[in-house]
Parts: sequence; structure tokens; C-alpha cells
Amino acid sequence: MSAKQNPKKLKWALDFNGSKNADIPSPLGYNPSALVNQSEVVRDQRLVIKKSWDLALGPLKNIPMNLFIMYMSGNSISIFPIMMVGMMLIRPIKAIFTTQVTSKMAEGAQGTGQRIVYFLGNLANVALALYKCQSMGLLPTHASDWLAFVQPQTRLEYYGGGISFV
Amino acid sequence: LYEDQIKKFDWRGVNVGALKQSRVDLNHFQPRILVTTYEGVVASLCVKTGELVWRQVLEQKPRGDVKLLQVSGFADDSSDTAAAPMGSNMGFDMLTVQGHAPALVRGWNTNMGALEWEWSIMPMNTERAQDAMWIYSKSVLYHVLPAWRSHLEVTAYFASSGHSTGSTSKVIAPWITSESCTLSGTFYVCTDGKQLISLDLVSKSGQVIRTSLEAEPKGKTQALTGLNGVVIVDGKPISVNKDQSICGDLRSSSFAVGSFNYRKVLAYADLSSGILRINALYLDNCAPAAELEQSLPFPEHFGTPSLSNFDCKQKRNGEGKNCLFLFSSTSESIVAVQHGRVRWSREESLANVIDSQFVDLPLADTEGTLENEMKGKAGDFTSFERDIASAFLRRITTQAVQIRSLFLHVIGLGPPPTDTQRAGLVRDSFGLHKMLVLLTRAGKIFGIDNVSGKHHWQLHLPNVIGFANDEQMRLIVQRSAKHFPLQPLCTILGKNAVSGNGVLYRFNPITGKVAEGGLVQLDYRIKQLSLLGETEKDFLKGILLLDASNKVHVYPEHAAPLADGMYLYTADLKTAELAGYFVKYAGGQLSSTHIWNARLGGHNSEQQIIGVAGKNPIEHVHSQGRVLGDRSVLYKYINPNLVAFVTQAPDSTHKSVLNLYLVDVVSGSVVFTMTHRKVRAPLSIVHSENWLAYSYFNEKLRRTEITTIELYEGKSQANSSVWSSLQAPPMPLVERQSYILPTIVEALRETITERGITNKHVLIGTASGSIVEMPWHLLDPRRPIASTTQGREEGAIPYIPELPLPTESHINYNQTVARLRNIYTAPSGLESTCLVVATGLDLFVTRVAPSKTFDLLKEDFDYILISIVLVALTSGSLIVKHLASRKLLKQAWK
Repeated sequence: MSAKQNPKKLKWALDFNGSKNADIPSPLGYNPSALVNQSEVVRDQRLVIKKSWDLALGPLKNIPMNLFIMYMSGNSISIFPIMMVGMMLIRPIKAIFTTQVTSKMAEGAQGTGQRIVYFLGNLANVALALYKCQSMGLLPTHASDWLAFVQPQTRLEYYGGGISFV
Repeated sequence: LYEDQIKKFDWRGVNVGALKQSRVDLNHFQPRILVTTYEGVVASLCVKTGELVWRQVLEQKPRGDVKLLQVSGFADDSSDTAAAPMGSNMGFDMLTVQGHAPALVRGWNTNMGALEWEWSIMPMNTERAQDAMWIYSKSVLYHVLPAWRSHLEVTAYFASSGHSTGSTSKVIAPWITSESCTLSGTFYVCTDGKQLISLDLVSKSGQVIRTSLEAEPKGKTQALTGLNGVVIVDGKPISVNKDQSICGDLRSSSFAVGSFNYRKVLAYADLSSGILRINALYLDNCAPAAELEQSLPFPEHFGTPSLSNFDCKQKRNGEGKNCLFLFSSTSESIVAVQHGRVRWSREESLANVIDSQFVDLPLADTEGTLENEMKGKAGDFTSFERDIASAFLRRITTQAVQIRSLFLHVIGLGPPPTDTQRAGLVRDSFGLHKMLVLLTRAGKIFGIDNVSGKHHWQLHLPNVIGFANDEQMRLIVQRSAKHFPLQPLCTILGKNAVSGNGVLYRFNPITGKVAEGGLVQLDYRIKQLSLLGETEKDFLKGILLLDASNKVHVYPEHAAPLADGMYLYTADLKTAELAGYFVKYAGGQLSSTHIWNARLGGHNSEQQIIGVAGKNPIEHVHSQGRVLGDRSVLYKYINPNLVAFVTQAPDSTHKSVLNLYLVDVVSGSVVFTMTHRKVRAPLSIVHSENWLAYSYFNEKLRRTEITTIELYEGKSQANSSVWSSLQAPPMPLVERQSYILPTIVEALRETITERGITNKHVLIGTASGSIVEMPWHLLDPRRPIASTTQGREEGAIPYIPELPLPTESHINYNQTVARLRNIYTAPSGLESTCLVVATGLDLFVTRVAPSKTFDLLKEDFDYILISIVLVALTSGSLIVKHLASRKLLKQAWK
């Protein structure tokens, strides 16, 4: 009953026809170019580059700590030096294999240089671990380490005999 | 070795030796059999079972040679001596006389084998004392000392105390010689043409008694023990004593005197066509004692029996079935006959084992078909596709056959198992169960289970003896049990006792049956022999024989091409000369060429070879070098053709000089030589891999020493692929060191395993009957003198001259091996375990694990606890998983 009475008893109405308001002037003080912040974009890029270099130089910063750990663990073969050398060897290798994931954060102009420095840092850590293995005697660099694979010599002559029976 | 492992892995056989004298006494308050043997043993045997009641091993010969056994009793009327009261020093249960310089007279307690008293005499002339004889008569012991072709000296002593009864009486007898005279009771009987000349040494008259014979005797006369003045001439008893008559027309190979129904009885036994017949006569009226007559089949492996003694139990209903007859035999067995059958027997030829082999047992029949399948697959080298198809077809067929045989076996219609499977002679998983084949000096061969000690079979070879120069018969494995379904084959090489020519005897070591014809008589004398490689047709290893005229023969003939390129060497012990030969096979004929000669006898040829040691042909050297402290490798000088010779000669300055030579017997070059002064035998030597260990007696310091030698090639190998003795190999670097042993060494042997990974230990057999396991790194010549920490090799122990012999290293704990003579080792199927057999008077079989049993679970491995823990953890995890899922579901519903 209310729908039927609406067109006849309308008290007020709003007209949203926009075509009439198309040429309304801007409010006082409105500047269309105020949303663009050029200086802020420049500062953000600088921060990203700085953080990426921190990541890239992380392995190289670990080298003094690794040297100290190597000094403290000694050259004897027991469970704790083995564990330390194992960690020193496994962690850089694992980091090398996850370079692709890490390098996603290094997008930018200096990305290639950062990747190379990161890779070389991990290689330096691996080299330190290998040097530690060698000083502990774990690398197969001597002839005695390959002795188990030396085959016996084949004999060419066969003999028989002994004390005379007559 | 722990306390619960005693007799778990080992067993010992106790022997006494071949029977010499015996007394059977069934009417004693404790029935007994007292024996003396040719090995110098006095023992008491159980009447019912033949087991040892007690045993006393006397000194070594000649001091331990038993001359007289006298037992107190009532059977012999010449020994009317009462038994000794307990604890007294008069009288005796048993009296023995042993040795000649000094001669030891001992009185024994026969219940426990205790020595009660002892006295000795030392004769003036020790050489003539070797022919001395002893008489016991009426509590007096007479010492009869012959001077051949001149006289007899008779000295009387009181038997229990050794006091002399007076001066030595001299009996003029210019007809006596050692080969024609014997002593029977108190009568000294000699043959002279067709008559016997006898002397009664105990009577006062000293009258010469002459007894005429029907014919001149062919063999040596023997005394009939138990009767005074009766000798056996060519199997016929003849009495020279007028107080002792003998029944006429008796002829037998062995006689014995005993008593039956309180009357004296003469029993005799003969073997004909495998049947042993025992007869007896009453000595007072020559009537046959029909109750004692017995007839029984006699097994062939006992050889020819000889009746030694017998006795009958009294106070039964008078039957002869309670008589026990004790026999010795040519195969050195002791056989007891009762009730017309062999009641028990003792194999005393095991006291003289001369060779030993561990033979693998055959596969079970089901595994044999699998092996056959693998062998057939390897043999077919046709096209690839056909090979795959035929292999697949064979696999399916084999499995179908196995299912069918399993089904038939369940029903009970399967084929019957073979004899070896029924006897349990099937190879086990680890190869620890083997057939121990033992060859003895009497020509008897035994097949013994090495785990349980059971005698599976025995064979006897009559008329086969060892070679000259104290070289024994050889036992050779020509084919092992690996080649299913071919049977394993063993061969014995010896010498014919009559002609001196070579003899071959082939047999199956698993069943003990004759194989491939058995006995083969050769028409030449064997000088040396060697084993060749396997033929492709029947996997048989040929035997290369060098005869006395240096001709070469190969047996079997179809293995002759394998002898091409073979090298042989012979060593003459007395002159210390070595000779090397090269064997060539050309135009279907074998020939040998003399290629080198070496004289180790010195400029006067006074040195004699006392030891020869080559390497074990089946050993593997797993590690080719030794790791030094700076992690470099010192390569071993592993020359498979290296043989060690030890010579000894008396010296005017140093009393005795011992020389060691390491000779390459292919090229004849002397690789190393070493001299020891003031040392002498007994020498024991062991040679393995690149090291050598030998023990000797140092006369200057009066102790036993052991010297070890190691040979190295250096920091680099000249040729890392092949070894050839003819390509001028480099001279080795020699390391040597000596150690002191606190015991006398009788035997040395190294442990051996299949692949050579396990550590080498040296088994030292001592004169006290123990076997000590000595790790090689205690005998290492590279043990450092100064104990610096820099550059130390791994496992090197600082040098201490005295070698420890801890009781934990005695592998036979308190099971001593009397008269230990030799130790044999063999690899088992496990790499960690080595099988050991020690021979001497006794026999001891065990196994050792030099590097612990690294390839086995311990026998106290707790299977039950591990199974319980595993089941509990698995079920616990399943339950907890179920509970966790329920908890998660309940939380999801909140």
C-alpha cells in the first residue's frame, strides 16, 4: 500500500544526475600534484640496497668467529670438534644452495655484485672448514688414506716342493 | 673367554698311546685295566666303557720308556707280594721301571694313580745300559745287563726300597746277540741254529739248558708273558723250563695267559677273513676250555689284532661269557672283546696325528639345485635375449620343483634324504661346521666332527708309511665340496713299506668311502710333490710328483698341461743343499730342468737344515702396506715364493750357531740371512704375509727367545700390479727384534682367515700343554725403543723384552694338551673366526677370533628384550596416535 502511494505523496527527493555537477570547481586549496612523494621513493631504494649488502657480506663477517671457533676446538678427533667442523662445512654449503631464495631480496642495480660477494663469502667459509679438516687429518690427501684400495700383486710364478723325501 | 663358554666351542680328546703292556684284573675289589704304552704313559681304563680312570704321562723318551710293568695279584705265581697297606712305603700295587740312565723304579697306587715311592740307579756304562732288561721275582728286582757276545751282569735289588742284595754276578755267555735273544720270566733264551740256549738267571746253578727245535726259526723269538721260561718261535710256544710244560702243536699269532675256574689257561686269538677267533686251553692237562671260545666279526679299520691280556670274573655260574679279552692292533687301537662282540675300543693312533685338514661339508640338496642354477647361468654365453629367457625359465622351473618337493615332503612321499644329510653333515650358515680329517702315523684316517668331536668314519691303510728324513705322509684336498653335485676328494701320499715306491690313496672325506679307485701303487719313488690348479672339467687339483730320478709325473694325467711353467725345489737336510727345477710341458710330455743350486752348509758342509717354512698358499694379504706416523705408507715385501731355511751346526767357539736364510725358491736368490750364536733347538718357526717369527733356546742366557722379522719394500712399490721373482725385485728393508718367552715353545702357528682382514695372532704351543694366543702387535719388530710421542705409528707399543703370557690368553684354559706337538689352523666361513686343532698326545679343537667377533651378534644378544621393547613402542605409538586424533576431533567440536 505504501508503494502505491509513493509517486503521489513524495515529500522530497534527491537527484544524483552527475551531468549537472560536472563543472563544479575544486575546493579551495586543492592541489592535484600533492600525492606524489618523489623524495620518499629515493630514500626507500637506498635502504633496500643497504640491507642487501648486509646480507651479502654476512658470510664474510662470520670468518673471524669461525677462526676463533677453530682455534678453540683443537686438532684432536673427538665428538665436539667433529660437530663444529661439520656445522662449519654444512652451513655454508646449505647457504650456497639457497642463494636463489636469498637473491630475491637483491633486486636492483647492484644485485649481480651482491650475489657474487655472497657466493664467494660462502666459498671462503667452506675453504676454512676444509683447512680445518686437513689440520685434523680428515682429508684423504696422503697415500695411507688410499691404502685400503690397493690391490694385491698378481704372482706370475708358482712353486712347490720341500724337504727331499729320499 | 667367559665362564659360561667353557667347552661350548671346543672339545678335547685324551689318549694314552699304543698299547705296550697291560693287565686285566676283574676280580680286584675294584675291577681295572692297567696299561703302559709306547708313548710313555701309565693309565687305568674303565672295564665297562674303556674311558680313562687316571692317566700319568711320564717323561719323554728315553727317560719315559717303560721297561717293566708288575702288578700285585694272585694270577702270576712269581709275584707273591701283598698289596701295600695304606700310607706305607712297603709293597706296591703296581711297579714300573722306566728309562735306562738313570733307571727309575716307581711304585703306584692303582686306585687314584698316585706315585707312592721312587728310587733310581745310574749305571756305570750308559751306552750298554740301553739294552738292560728287568726281572721281578719274589720281591727282588733283577737288573740284567748284557755285554753282547761276552757275558751277562745280573744285579739284585729289593723291589720296594732299592737296596742292593749283594754284588753283581757275572754269567759267561759268549753266544748272546741282540737280535737272537729275549727274556722270558727269569730265563734268558737265545736261538742258535736249530736249538735254544737258555739260562736261568735267578737260580744258583747257572746251568745252560739246550732245547732242540724242529726247524730253524725265521723271525725273532718273543716271550710269552705270564709264564716262566716259555717263548714263541714262529708262532709256536716252546718251553725251556722243565717245571713249566706247554701243550704241543699249538700255532697262533698271539697268546695270553690268564686264569679261569681257578685254573691256568692259555688263550690264543687269530684273525682270518675278517673273523676273529678266540680259543683257550687249560695248561695243566691241555684240555680245551670250550666256554672261552668266541668268534666275532672284526672291523677292517682295526687292522690286525694281537691278544694282550685277558681275565675272567669268578663266582658266577661258571660260564665263559664274563671273560674280557684285551687286544692291541696294528692300527694302534685298543679293543675289548666280551660276550662275543667288541665291547669298546679306544683309538690310540690319534696320539700321533701327522696331518690335518678341515674339509667343508656339502650343501643341502635344495641349496645344491640353486647352486646348479647359478652355475648353469654362468656357463651359457649365448645371445643376450636367449640367456635372459633361459634364465627366467630355469628360475621358474627350479621354484616349481622346490614347491613340488616341499609338497611331497609334507605328504611324506618325498625322496629319502642322502646319507650325509641324515647324519647331519650339512654346511651351516657360517661355515663353522666342518669335517676334521686327521691322518695318523699308523696309517689310520679319521673323519671327526669339529663341533661335537664325534667320529663319523675311520679308514686304515696297511703297509703305508711316511717318507725318509722324518717326512710324514701327506693329506691333500684335491676337490672341495663347493662343486655340487661332485663329491669332495682327498688323497693321501705315502710310501709302500715293502718296496719303497710311492702310494696314492683317494677317498671321500665326508663319507669315508673309497673314491676313484682308492689305492694306486706307483712304480717310482717320490722325491717331492706339489699341488696344481683346478682343471676345468671336473674341478680337480692335480698332484705333481717328482721322483727320485728327477722325472716329473702328474696325477691325474689329464691335469698335466697345468704343470707347465711350474717351479719346484728340494732341500737335502743333512748336506743343506737346495736345488730348483723348472717343469715344462711340450709335445704331450713333462720334463724338468735343473735351474739353480744353493749350498747353505758352509765351507765344511757341517750346517744341517733343521727348519723349513714357506707361506700358506691359501692366505690373502688384505693390507699391502703399513701406515707410518707421518701418514705415508711403508709397502710390504710380499714375495709369495719366499721360503725360510734354518740351519744349525756345532761350533768350536760358540758351542752352537744357528743361521737363518730367506731364499726365493723360484730364482734361487738369497734375500736375507742372519746368524745367531750360542743358540740351539728346539726351533719353532712360522712364516706369513711379510713377517717371520721363530723361537729357539739361548744357551748363553738360558732362556727361550723369539725373534721376529718383517720385510718391507719401501715408501713406493716397484711394481704395483704383478709380482715376478725373475724380474730382479728390489732387496727388502728388514726389521728385526727379539723377545723373551718364559716357557719352552713346542709349536708356533699363525691364525688365518678367508680374506685376511682380521688381525694376525700367533698361537704358541708350550711344553706344559697350553696354547697361548699372542697378538702380532706384541711381537712386532717395529715397536719403538724410545717412547717419543712424535711420529708414533698407530698401535705401536713401546718395546719391553719380556712377553706377557696372561691367563686370559690361554685358549685351552685348563684343558692342557699333553705332549703338544703341532697346531693346525684353517679359515672358517666367517671372516672373524679361525678354526684351530692342536695335536700331541691329546687332541684339542677350538676356534679363535683374533679381532673379536665383529661379524656376529654376541651369543648373549638379548633377542627377547629387544623384541618386547620394539613391540611395546610400536603399539604405544599406534595407541597414542589414536588418542591424539580423538583429542583433536574433540577440540574441533568446541
